[in-house]
Amino acid sequence: MSFAEFVDGPFWYFSAAVFVIGVAWRMFGMLTIGSKTDYSLPRGSGTTGAIATNVRRFFPRAAFWSRIKLQVVAGYLFHIGLFALLFFAAPHIDFYREKVLGFGWTAMPEWAFILTSEIAFLGLLLLILHRLMNPVTRRISRRGDYLGSILIFLVMLTGCLALARSYEALRVLHFFLAELLLIYFPFSTLIHTFTFPFSRGFSGAHYGRRGVSV
Amino acid sequence: MAVDMNVFRGFAEQIGSLPQMAQPTDCPDGERVSRAKAVFAAKLDSAKATHLESCIHCGLCAEACQFYLQTKDPELTPIHKLDLLKRYYRREKAPLRFFHRFFEADISEADLEATQFLVYESCTECGRCGLVCPMGIDIASMVNVTRQGLAEAGLIPAGLRAVEQEQGGRGTVFGVGPEQLRAAIDDLRGRGYDVPIDKPKADILVLTSTIDILLFKDALEATVKVMNHLGVDWTLHSCAFEGANFGLLSGYEQVQKSASERITTQAIALGAKLVIVPECGHAYPALRWEGANEHGGALPFEVMAISEFLGNEIAAGRLQVEPIGRDKHVTYHDPCKVGRHGGVFREPRVVLDALGVDLDEMPCNQATNFCCGGGAGLFVMERAEPMRNAAFDLKREQVESTRADTVVTACGSCRVNLLAGAMRTEWDRGVESLVELVGNNLKQR
Repeated sequence: MSFAEFVDGPFWYFSAAVFVIGVAWRMFGMLTIGSKTDYSLPRGSGTTGAIATNVRRFFPRAAFWSRIKLQVVAGYLFHIGLFALLFFAAPHIDFYREKVLGFGWTAMPEWAFILTSEIAFLGLLLLILHRLMNPVTRRISRRGDYLGSILIFLVMLTGCLALARSYEALRVLHFFLAELLLIYFPFSTLIHTFTFPFSRGFSGAHYGRRGVSV
Repeated sequence: MAVDMNVFRGFAEQIGSLPQMAQPTDCPDGERVSRAKAVFAAKLDSAKATHLESCIHCGLCAEACQFYLQTKDPELTPIHKLDLLKRYYRREKAPLRFFHRFFEADISEADLEATQFLVYESCTECGRCGLVCPMGIDIASMVNVTRQGLAEAGLIPAGLRAVEQEQGGRGTVFGVGPEQLRAAIDDLRGRGYDVPIDKPKADILVLTSTIDILLFKDALEATVKVMNHLGVDWTLHSCAFEGANFGLLSGYEQVQKSASERITTQAIALGAKLVIVPECGHAYPALRWEGANEHGGALPFEVMAISEFLGNEIAAGRLQVEPIGRDKHVTYHDPCKVGRHGGVFREPRVVLDALGVDLDEMPCNQATNFCCGGGAGLFVMERAEPMRNAAFDLKREQVESTRADTVVTACGSCRVNLLAGAMRTEWDRGVESLVELVGNNLKQR
């Protein structure tokens, strides 16, 4: 079995299984710890609070804006760029159709791919630089934060290099790195991709009961 | 009645001597870690687990924290204060604990001791950090859980421990018990006020606090004036008058429960429909939000902060005040535990509007208001003084960006910290209580 066959075959199934089972295990584990009944008389609705906080946290409060704008803008650039690439890059849609879903959808044109990649790279590089240079993020970051950023950077870089689909080796390298990322994902802070609505929701519900919009 | 600054200085000196009054804890050295872990195990629920799983180490919480903003010390980053709890969670409770144990060292007594400064003396649990977090992590509530763990491990800072031990043991705070309450009532009665106490039945149980009995007598007097002005069926009670709950502040749940239950039991015996919490920030969540949970079921009475009660009564037209006029320029400081943790924002502003004063809000107000720096018991912690001062300096900047010459608030410990800061820096702005403003400006019948 060649390396390409290994990456396209068994390693793909292995990494996908680790990703799915790992994420499900972690989500199920944290959400089933349980919670105590709150007997206090509510002033507002916890459900409304949970929904409202989920929406509100996409838009930072004006009182904080001047101090956090770099990270917010960089975060949006990276996440929007990354999700556009993940779900609207032609090679990815082909992959989903052939290997995962059995159907596809309209891809973005190549110029949009290049623009989106640049946006995502800019955001990611700004976030990495901020993590390295800001005393607070330097103090609280763990090795895993850097590892996750480097893996994503390499996946994006090889993905861009493989765009023309001229060199099979580049495609295999890109796919291999993406599989490593899938394996790493459930063990890392990348899990926030799935936990954030719950995390926001719990706070929103708690404070929503108290009549506070958070 | 203005605050007697000599009494205030004496009160500050008394606070300074608290550490000498603290008794040693009964926790043997070898048991500290296991005791803290037992608390962490009991307190970590799905919400907290999700919050601990969701942090992306972005550090935005630091940009909301008054202590980080003033010191620029990364050690004070709010989420960093949860490292101890997080380590416990990752090793012992997380779904991936079997994996994390390879990389995460177990917590030690030294770790507990190192965390003491982070969760006690450099955090007021104000909750501002939770507003900026993109993941919505409620850091303040987990700082409180960490305090509870350290409290069980006998690591409450000495000043706070002294007050907690006094309230848990003798049931008094700063030596104030039923006798001192009666003396304060006698003083008020001597000045012509009708002050009901220990009535067998009453619709409303009014609480006060040690600070109001010793120091801010104007607030207690104003409360009496308001209640009598309304003509409602109310009483103070010598067995349940203290709103302050140093069990909550220290994290020692046994004392929190006993202080809370004392009020709950008495209110039920009175047949009270409403319990009014005085101008004491943390007293509000202690009873309004935690009281029912400590009791183990819904309370058969409502709980309101005095600022909330005043606003509601004015809005309902039952309480009328004489307008002071717009040449009185004020700004309103929302006590964190009443506002950000309690949702009482509108009511004090209804009061100020009725008083007709010129309210000029600080740049950061209501939900984003900066803490006074003395909350969560910091005002009785000796080592916290640099933090309190730093927070006051930030608050001073906020106030000075308005045209206000007076800061109005509805919390005794906020008043203490603001007055202490004003005294230290010879600040020329006044600090007044909301209920005092109302009490002094009730409409004549």
